[in-house]
Amino acid sequence: MSRGPWSLALRRLRRDRAALAFGALFALIVVLVLAAPLYANQVAHTTPSENHLTDQVVIDGERTDVLSLEGVPIGPTWQGSYLLGADENGRDLAVRLLYGARTTLIIGGGAVLLTLLLAVPLGLAAGYRGGRTDAVISRLLDLIWSFPALLLGVLLSTAISFSGAQIGPVTIGSGSKLIPLLVIGLVYVPYMTRPLRGQVMALRGQPFVEAARAAGMRPAKLMASELLPHLATTIIVVSALLFVNAVVLEAALTFLGAGVNPPEPSLGVLIAAGLSEVVRSPHLLLVPSIALILIVLSLNGFAEGVRRALDPRGTVSFDLGRGR
Amino acid sequence: MISFAARRLAAALVTAWVASIVAFVLFWTVPNVDPAYWLGGGQKGTNETRALATEKYGLDDPLPVQYVRLMESILNGEIECFYSCGSLRDTFVQALPVTISLVLGAGLIAVGVGIGLALICVRHRGRWQDRLISTVATAVYSVPSLVLAALLWAFASYRWGLFPQEGYVRLRDSPWGWAKHLFLPWIASALPFAGAYTQVVRASLLDTVDQDWVRTARAKGLSEKRVIRRHVLRNALIPSVNVWGLDFSHAFGGFVLYVEVIFGLPGVGGLTANTLASFDLPPTVALAIYLAIVVVFFSALVDLVVAWLDPRLRQPGPST
Repeated sequence: MSRGPWSLALRRLRRDRAALAFGALFALIVVLVLAAPLYANQVAHTTPSENHLTDQVVIDGERTDVLSLEGVPIGPTWQGSYLLGADENGRDLAVRLLYGARTTLIIGGGAVLLTLLLAVPLGLAAGYRGGRTDAVISRLLDLIWSFPALLLGVLLSTAISFSGAQIGPVTIGSGSKLIPLLVIGLVYVPYMTRPLRGQVMALRGQPFVEAARAAGMRPAKLMASELLPHLATTIIVVSALLFVNAVVLEAALTFLGAGVNPPEPSLGVLIAAGLSEVVRSPHLLLVPSIALILIVLSLNGFAEGVRRALDPRGTVSFDLGRGR
Repeated sequence: MISFAARRLAAALVTAWVASIVAFVLFWTVPNVDPAYWLGGGQKGTNETRALATEKYGLDDPLPVQYVRLMESILNGEIECFYSCGSLRDTFVQALPVTISLVLGAGLIAVGVGIGLALICVRHRGRWQDRLISTVATAVYSVPSLVLAALLWAFASYRWGLFPQEGYVRLRDSPWGWAKHLFLPWIASALPFAGAYTQVVRASLLDTVDQDWVRTARAKGLSEKRVIRRHVLRNALIPSVNVWGLDFSHAFGGFVLYVEVIFGLPGVGGLTANTLASFDLPPTVALAIYLAIVVVFFSALVDLVVAWLDPRLRQPGPST
């Protein structure tokens, strides 16, 4: 019995132990992050924004100040409250880390969804229609493509936070988390459209497309039902790699003050805050840095595994270093 | 080659021009943002400062007139900040060598390490050296520059005092001081790229070593070293050179922004980051345009170098 390409890919993925290990690590991170409110309520008994300037915590039977007299926050206690220590306002770092990672992952995931929503129709239209449609779309996206993602992101996000923005029914205030999501999603559109356009152009001349056209299928239906299934591999592989880049870009944008605004935690916010406190309390920098490395490493390892499984011959081109 | 160069430079000029229009529209004329509000000092401004700004920048004039006037003053370097900053163009030109040193050094390290490790991988393909290097390359690629820069600065410079905490020394004044100030920034910016390049070059080398012409070269009795150097490496590197060029030009609006802030380097990245954070409108537009010019110029330069290396790429229709 012959197997379809999807079940073959799944089998390859199941046999790829490294990819599975990274995937499991990422799944664990997602579960932890989703459980952030549960952890905050049941274990740490605080919220990510609650200050505890004068509180005390019991460690090994001894009462210890959360903030010392000089204002130095407590380091990791490895117990329920202040598991990873406190920050300079006496906030529980573990709680902030979970909420922050959640924000970062939501922004990254949302941005990739937005990219997909814009890039797939654009890539299909440009590749299938060709001619003037293609010229307009390609020139426009080349303009985005020819500028670095970070610079473009910082500029767009600064411009939007000058005024806020109104897109249809959605109003984005000047401190909103939607700004980095929107900006990252927009900046990555050409990274997805380019490979899709190329692939559609190659498919356009295939007999099955001509047959569908000859049978009188409308272009929109043809693109959705005949072409789209062939693009699934590219879409999945590029989405996974863009997700990794989006997470890193959020941290960089936020670090430059053009992403998530403190006190709302995100990994970028925590790293920036940790860097300014690193002399007195290195844990404030180390903890979010290690968290970001683990997220990127697990996601990257899994994404590469998915790529190996779906595209063993390496036909989907995606520049590794780009888009950061 | 000359006609290719002319076409490529013309395309670069058009891109820079469109970018300047986009920057103008983005910051000067967004709906529901009143430039007079920001030019008149933002929250600290009064109705009088706003009226003054309206008059000074001629905000009541038609937009094309405002655009031309703003671009003239940006290119002349006459941009003024609300909180005075001197001539922005001169500051930018002074800061540029710092950033070029950073990007060029990081690029050389990334490409050198990438090629070197990939060659080791190919020589020992399938054995433990290959697997070790591939694994390390993936791991290194997963450490974002931002995190690496923050950790290196915080520990190696600040806490342990192994390297200077901030500042910059010109190469002309003291090569040793120059290298010492730039060493950690180079490492922080180059490592993730080195990891990525190792993987890309390794894959490309592995594709090439099985080609017929390589077998022919071996059959001719050439030494393995000569086969790799003259026949495999040259052909395998051509696709990568394009990627490196784009990465190089994009670096001027990429990692330099935060690496220079973290290491306190007085380059264009730090300048831009600080200006953007101050929410000061004219210098923001000016810096956006200056950086766009730098990125577009280096993209064009890189394309010319690549075309010079590989004549097949001189066909009409540059990619960017």
